[in-house]
Order: sequence, then structure tokens, then C-alpha cells
Amino acid sequence: MTLNRESKIYTVVFTVIVTFLFVFILSGLNTFTSDMVKKNQEIFKIKAILNAFGLSYVSNDEAMEKFKSEVSKLDVKDYELYKVIMNGQEIYAVVFSGSGLWGNITGVLAVDKDVSRIVGIDFISQSETPGLGGRIEEAWFKEQFKGEQIKDDGIIVSTTKVPDSKDDSMVDAITGATLTSKSIENIIRTYVPVLKQLLGVN
Amino acid sequence: MSEYKKIFKNNLWIENPVFVQILGICSTLAVTNNLRNTLIMTIGVTLVTALSNLTISAMRNVIPRKVRMITQVLVISFYVIIVDIILRAYLPDVSKALGPYVGLIITNCIIMGRAEAFAQGNKPIISFWDGFTAGLGYMLVLVVVAFFRELLGFGTVFGIRIIPESVPAWTIMVMPPSAFFVLASFIWIVKGAQMKKTVKTSAGSTSASGK
Repeated sequence: MTLNRESKIYTVVFTVIVTFLFVFILSGLNTFTSDMVKKNQEIFKIKAILNAFGLSYVSNDEAMEKFKSEVSKLDVKDYELYKVIMNGQEIYAVVFSGSGLWGNITGVLAVDKDVSRIVGIDFISQSETPGLGGRIEEAWFKEQFKGEQIKDDGIIVSTTKVPDSKDDSMVDAITGATLTSKSIENIIRTYVPVLKQLLGVN
Repeated sequence: MSEYKKIFKNNLWIENPVFVQILGICSTLAVTNNLRNTLIMTIGVTLVTALSNLTISAMRNVIPRKVRMITQVLVISFYVIIVDIILRAYLPDVSKALGPYVGLIITNCIIMGRAEAFAQGNKPIISFWDGFTAGLGYMLVLVVVAFFRELLGFGTVFGIRIIPESVPAWTIMVMPPSAFFVLASFIWIVKGAQMKKTVKTSAGSTSASGK
């Protein structure tokens, strides 16, 4: 009996087999690499925490080591809070998650003990427009937050050029990515009160 | 061998998927404000087009006509997911920079266009070559567009500063609408050149035949 390529049975059987085959290979590949992907994500997070604290590292291994020896995780409900002691000062960082323009933005926000200044910020994952909102990952943008004073539970990400002062609670937004910049502002505004509450600061 | 050369020339220039067939415009507009991302994205598209063409061509004799397109989409998404998994596992930084665009390779019309127009009716190796060169044709246009957009919008090329910081950057170049202008100018110039050539050759042949 010759196979009729256009018969219904053949079409159904063909579709099932082909789909099964391709999906099978993919899931195999996914399982095979999932440990590596997980490890990458873990490293991204550790690096982000170190960056937010302003701790420098050269390699991934060094970052892991530094994280283990210097950063301690605090036990709090609902949030991930980390602490380091630098030059006798306690610095705290919280892992945040908030909505950006296209999807969730997760990252780390570090503040000083009395939540009066931002120590640093870094991002773990984001799906903003590459080349526009995706530029929140660039050093100049994150650098602006370092040491910036917190006023009224937040800082302003301004779309007009602001002076380089650390006391005006204002940083520059990204040109062409106003909505992403404003999302960052909102996320900070959400998490500053959270930090205050966790650290018992009024 | 001349068949391969002809396909190369067609896909890169004479029937270029972007500026002649006007395919893959969505990604042309979206990812071209940064050369590095553009290059990685187009390498991804080239690999996916080549491999999916190879696969579809290899199984072309067993695919029922009714589910032809579904099978093509299946094969294409299969390769796109592989690219995504490999990037996430081995090149996490690149994967982070490209974000959602890797997944969106699936929707690139060039890939399905080549699968339907070429791989469906040709042998595997030559289909692979066709897909690969179509990807290169796409890459050619995107890299040129990205070069101008990054240079004028950020003052950099591959992140290296070319235009001094004191010269105000042309902000519109960073934003998606500018890609329309750059791409349109590109098509205008290239098509103009192509037409001139056709006119010349046809004029030459008419005078030769003495009409």
C-alpha cells in the first residue's frame, strides 16, 4: 500500500510525530542547560548585589567569594534583604521587582542605615527596549544614583538635564526612554518605604 | 557552482530581502540603533534561516501540503529556541542585552519567506545556502542602517566614540521613527542605482538591435 500524503490520517500522524520529535529535542536541550542557566542567573544576582553595594570584583569566582565572605542575608518576611559593613557603616540592600515598560524589572537597591541616601542600584533582569530603555543597564545611568539623597521617600528621574549635585534628589532620565526612566522612579518610590519599614526608620 | 553564485548575488543585492522585497521591516526598525545588538541579532537570523531552510528542504517530500506552513513555523521556532537557549547558557550577557528580540526572530518574514519560496522546492544543501545568503542580505542592510543611527544618535560606532561628546547627538536617530528615514534613504539610493543600471543595459541592447 502506498502512502497517500494528502490523506487525513497521514496528516495527523505526521503532525503528531514531527511536533513530538522537535519538542522532545528541545526539552532535552533545555534540561541539559538548565543548571547552567540557573547558575548564570545566580551569578547575575550576586553581581548585582555587589554592584549595588559598590563592592568591586574582577571575575565571577571572586564575586562569589566576596559575596560569601562580606554579604550577609537578613531574615525578613516577603523581601530579600542583604547587609554589609563597609568602613564601619552598615549598608542595606533589597532585591526589588516592579513593572517597566514591557515587563518586570528586577534589581537591587542599596541604601545607608537611616535610608537617607542611595548607595547604589543595579539591575538583575529587564526586558526594556534594547538601545532605549535597555540602557538602564549602562554604567552612567546607574552611577548617577550613587550617594544621591532621598527626599520624600524617593528621587526624581528628570527628563530635563539636571545639575550633577548629589543633594538635589534628581538624576537624568534616558533620552527616548521616558517611560522606563519613570518606572525606575516609581520602583524606588515603592521600595524606599519598604526599606524604612524593614530597618525601623521613620 | 554558478547556481550558488547566482543565489548569493540575488539574495545580497538584486533581490535583497529588505530593500527589494521589503521583508523583515519590523526588526529593521526596532534593533538598529546599536551596532553590537544588530550584529548579534542578524547572526541569529542568518543561522536560523539557513538551518530551517536545510531542515525543511530535507523533509519536503514527507510534509503534507495542508500542514506545510505549520511545519515550517514549527521548524523555525525550534531553531529560534535553540539559539535562545544557547545564548542564555553560554553568552548570558548577550542574551541579557537582546532581551525579547531573540524570541521575535520567529516572526521575521524573511525566514518563512525563504522556507516557502525556496526550501519547499529545492535540495537541502542549496536551500541552506539560500537561507544563509538571505540572512547575509538582511545583515548587510541592518548593519548599514545601524551604523548611521548609532553614529548620529550616540556619536559612537560599536560603542567607541567617534563624534566628540561636545557635538550634540541627534536624538531622533535613537528612536524608532528615524529608522524609517534612514531605511527609506537607503532604499532610494540603492534602487536608484539599480534602476540606472537596468535602463543603461536595456538602452544598450535596443541601440544594438538598431531600433
